[in-house]
Amino acid sequence: MNITWLEARDFRSYETLRFEPDEAVNVLVGDNGQGKTSVIEAIGYLGTTKSLRGVADEALIREGTSSAVIRGAFDGRASETVIECEIPMEGRRKILVNGKRPTRMRDVLTTVSMVAFLPDDLDLVKRGSAIRRGYLDDLAARLWPQAAAVQTDYDRALRQRNALLKQEGRATDSLTLDVWDERLARAGAQVLQHRRAVATNLQPHLEEAYLVVGGSGKLRWSYRSTWGSDGVRDNDDLAEAFMAALATRRGKELEIRSTTVGPHRDEPELMLDGRNARSMASQGEQRTTALALRIGSYRLIEEVRDQTPILLLDDVFSELDPSRAARVLDLMPTGQVFVTTAREDEVPIRGRRWSVRDGKVLP
Amino acid sequence: MFEPPIQRLIDELARLPGVGRKSAQRIAFHLLNAEQADAQRLADAISEMRSSVRLCNRCYNVTADQECSICSDLRRDTTVVCVVERAQDIPVLERTQSFRGRYHVLGGAVNPIAGIHEENLRIKELVDRVELEGIKEVIAATNPTLEGDTTAMMISRRLKPLGVTVTRLASGLPVGGDLDYADEVTLGRALTGRQEL
Repeated sequence: MNITWLEARDFRSYETLRFEPDEAVNVLVGDNGQGKTSVIEAIGYLGTTKSLRGVADEALIREGTSSAVIRGAFDGRASETVIECEIPMEGRRKILVNGKRPTRMRDVLTTVSMVAFLPDDLDLVKRGSAIRRGYLDDLAARLWPQAAAVQTDYDRALRQRNALLKQEGRATDSLTLDVWDERLARAGAQVLQHRRAVATNLQPHLEEAYLVVGGSGKLRWSYRSTWGSDGVRDNDDLAEAFMAALATRRGKELEIRSTTVGPHRDEPELMLDGRNARSMASQGEQRTTALALRIGSYRLIEEVRDQTPILLLDDVFSELDPSRAARVLDLMPTGQVFVTTAREDEVPIRGRRWSVRDGKVLP
Repeated sequence: MFEPPIQRLIDELARLPGVGRKSAQRIAFHLLNAEQADAQRLADAISEMRSSVRLCNRCYNVTADQECSICSDLRRDTTVVCVVERAQDIPVLERTQSFRGRYHVLGGAVNPIAGIHEENLRIKELVDRVELEGIKEVIAATNPTLEGDTTAMMISRRLKPLGVTVTRLASGLPVGGDLDYADEVTLGRALTGRQEL
């Protein structure tokens, strides 16, 4: 898959932007603050319907203007998809796919195959488990459309159950709470199954990527469940286990008024030869682990969706020594690539050079 | 801003669902330019609807009488009740001509975030009806949303002890459609609920 053209208006530092990238490697060279990352962000927003770096929508709008617009055309195997986003300062944003409002936003996720490497990817390894849950769930949503639907269902059931717990005296009727428990448990069982499917399918890619980028040892996921799901395989049995866990904690949850167990509290950890990469690995090992996670998702998307993803590399080469950088690229050679860098000589890859200066992308 | 009487009408119209500022202006000026009698008929229709329509004593459908036309129809099967969220859902089901029982309008679906709980819906009234009317089957035809499904589960739990059969509308493929066009969630549900031929 590749993006054939990109346009933006009042997006971050760009008043207007029109960019027709090469279908192979594009290297965006420019000093800091010139707008390189904005190009990556614009492409990322179209492919994921949110900021890659978790920036709020309003912060993407150019200062002093009331809305930002991004549009671009993605060329898939057989068809071209034009995606347009209008992000207003106030009110709802508008997203159009081929000129029409998509029935469900999650369809956009599976339309565009894309993987981004960002400077703060190290957080995937170093920070709390929420970010790793997010990694597994995001990847599941990109691979299987049902996964996104199940996640939405679970999040909503969880918010409903918490709302019930927070209202004085409401949750004390046990039948009402039983019903929400069951609803939450059915969705939760499926969220877990998708996470497991991601971890299992990712495993061979993760191991290989870890070794190729210079790690030694075996990298794998270890999933710490908060509700006794370990070893339970069947969907119905999982839902039963979840309901049982909720039943045991009911008294406590009525007191603190929040759902304390479930996939939203589970702790997926990354293990290096049995050591927790978060607490027991060196800085170098953590970097290698983060790289392996991104390479792994690229290869898994390529395998499952049978389409080469667009690769976004935002300022990642300044952190890598040249030989390792070259090995990273060897694992992902064939598709369209966007690389940003402040120093051209850091990028060990041949490709079309673009100069980014004063909010313009020039050949 | 228009002259106060016109502006007042525009403001009122713009509060209606599906009517924006522009449409409200068009409607207001249309009424201004229409025959006096035409405008009066609309005003009468609105005020008559408000003063004469009430809720059916039995099923809470909208009606002009004590009981709605469905509840008072002697040919309907009184042992089957179809539970819907809103009165608007009844004509939709009636158009199928496949259902010959009576209805029960809940008035919504449970939604703790919006502060809608079981006692804000007519579930207690449904339980009373099942006990009094000799109902044998209750069909939960709430919307296939998280809240609608949960409401259906709640109804089922409340009614099961009374020995009544509770069923749920099937989810599945639109008839005459292509498998290609079905979304994967609907298709998934259709697979789960498949039937032997």
